[in-house]
Amino acid sequence: MTDANGAPATPVLELHGVSKTYADVHALAGADLTVRRGELLAVVGPSGSGKSTLLNIMGTLARPTTGAVRVDGHDIDELTDRELSALRATAIGFVFQQFHLAPGVRALDAVADGLLYSGRPLRRRRRLAEQTLRRVGLGHRLGHEPHQLSGGEKQRVAIARAVAGAPALLLADEPTGALDSRSGAAVMELLHGLHRAGTTVVVITHDREIAAALPREVRLRDGRIETDTADGGGRTGPTRADRPGARDRRALREARP
Amino acid sequence: MTATAPPAAPARRLRPARLSPLDVLRTGGSGLRSRPARVFLSALGIAIGIAAMIGVVGISTSSTEELDRKLDALGTNLLTVAPGETVGGGEAHLPAEATEMIGDIAPVQSVSAVGLTEARVYRNDRIPAEETGGIGVYAARTDLPATVGARVTGGRWLNTADTAYPAVVLGPDAAAQLGVHAAGPGVQVWLGGRWFTVVGLLAPTELAPELDAAALIGWPAAEQEVGFNGYATTIYTRTEETAVEDVQAVLGATANPQEPTSVEVSRPSDALAAKEATDDALNGLLLGLGAVALLVGGVGVANTMVISVLERRAEIGLRRSLGATRGQIRTQFLCESLLLSALGGIGGVLLGIGVTAGYASYQGWPAVVPLWAMAGGVGATLAIGALAGFYPAVRAARLPPTEALAAR
Repeated sequence: MTDANGAPATPVLELHGVSKTYADVHALAGADLTVRRGELLAVVGPSGSGKSTLLNIMGTLARPTTGAVRVDGHDIDELTDRELSALRATAIGFVFQQFHLAPGVRALDAVADGLLYSGRPLRRRRRLAEQTLRRVGLGHRLGHEPHQLSGGEKQRVAIARAVAGAPALLLADEPTGALDSRSGAAVMELLHGLHRAGTTVVVITHDREIAAALPREVRLRDGRIETDTADGGGRTGPTRADRPGARDRRALREARP
Repeated sequence: MTATAPPAAPARRLRPARLSPLDVLRTGGSGLRSRPARVFLSALGIAIGIAAMIGVVGISTSSTEELDRKLDALGTNLLTVAPGETVGGGEAHLPAEATEMIGDIAPVQSVSAVGLTEARVYRNDRIPAEETGGIGVYAARTDLPATVGARVTGGRWLNTADTAYPAVVLGPDAAAQLGVHAAGPGVQVWLGGRWFTVVGLLAPTELAPELDAAALIGWPAAEQEVGFNGYATTIYTRTEETAVEDVQAVLGATANPQEPTSVEVSRPSDALAAKEATDDALNGLLLGLGAVALLVGGVGVANTMVISVLERRAEIGLRRSLGATRGQIRTQFLCESLLLSALGGIGGVLLGIGVTAGYASYQGWPAVVPLWAMAGGVGATLAIGALAGFYPAVRAARLPPTEALAAR
């Protein structure tokens, strides 16, 4: 973890000694984790291992009981709730297991709504949404509502919503959990494509097979980080590329099936 | 070895983006679009309350408008003079020259008089004397219709030629009482112990309703045939519109200089207006009912919003994860509540206008709904929406994002 000589990229996410306690349950205990720009990693563990807690803390949806969290250069301990919201609006994209697509809302509007709190005007949100949907291979589904889409397509809409604003960090919580294996594989291929072009992706999963297929694997058990393949100095992400936004767009193009 | 934070990237201040007013409206409306049935029902509660209030105000305004138009047509410049009681308590009578004296007041345009006789009128000579049917026999001057605004519906009014002869004109109630349906040479009634020919029938007279139940005969005939004493019991006078109150002030002294206080002066149009005003109590009651309906509607909106917040925890969590601040969540639900009530308010105003128009057209009135009532109706619903939405909106904003996302 030396950062002086030849570290590949600046950290997007840093956790130092992060613990989270609910009542007297230690959901997370002393977690250290650094995610660098452009990485693709899996946080894997059985249910109850603290995955969700870790995700919430990484996504700034919850604050740790103790420890320090830095996201995209911001120490979240120093941010107010409003500032955290602004950070989520610009720097973090979320993908959920159950998609969270509102019924009756067209794919285009769902993705455009993902940019609502980023301050872009409506017309730009729509244009960006359309571009992003085309790049995840849903150009022919712009006007479709969730009930007209397959599970895999829904998750691709949700991914498009998460990455349309080119966030520094994409957090995917069990992205294949509600999908059959074929759709799941397609979704994972999409995430790989995003990563190949430089998007930083953290996949939270209980599926060891999926985790093993990713360049880096962080295993959680009972609220502790058991192993982190990055410590072995093995797999790392791509080198620093050009601007994050440009990389993300290229990633989306490549990810297109 | 532990990773120290790299020399902090010049930490730009994070500031949440402001939503444009249009985005606020769209976001607030999105929750309504997906639940049309519930929106309709809770807006209906508000609409009924507003419609009731708009209807009451509209109908009462329309009725006032109708009265105004009626008074415009009838004129508000008719004054009547009648003998009251003397200081001693006995019944007074107006001096014989009172009518002429009033006619001499400068702004007086016309003057006429009737005098109640002691005669009785019957359908025929076989009716028992006590069955008078409440019909008064009056001596009337020939210029009476012009002054009080009476209209003849059948036959003709008394003219100078027949005032000395046994001819009678019947008011509508009197005619109905006596079973007279048409006037003509062959139609006769038994009046003061002899037959009188019915030469004319009157339409109802709004400003002198006492004439509706009257049998009117010529002044000379009254004196000759039924023993009338010749004193006027009511003097009618029309004045220039601008001088009505001045004339009203001097009428008593003019009619009876010896005992001005024993003269009763009145303005029949005031009585007409006062009669309409007695409906105020009923209007108050209906307005109160409308207010209760509105309150119940407001509670319905609050209830809908509370349920909506509970149901949409996942949406709230998602929006928080997308970067919505607590304030933006609060604004969204407040806006939704306001839209919901405004929908009910506008619907209620339209419904109220419809009710007013329907009732007014049924009554043959002009339909009038004052602008202040419409604006007030919509304004009231907005206030209710804000009150009803406040608590649910605050609850939605307080929801921790993780808890909201965990909801299925």
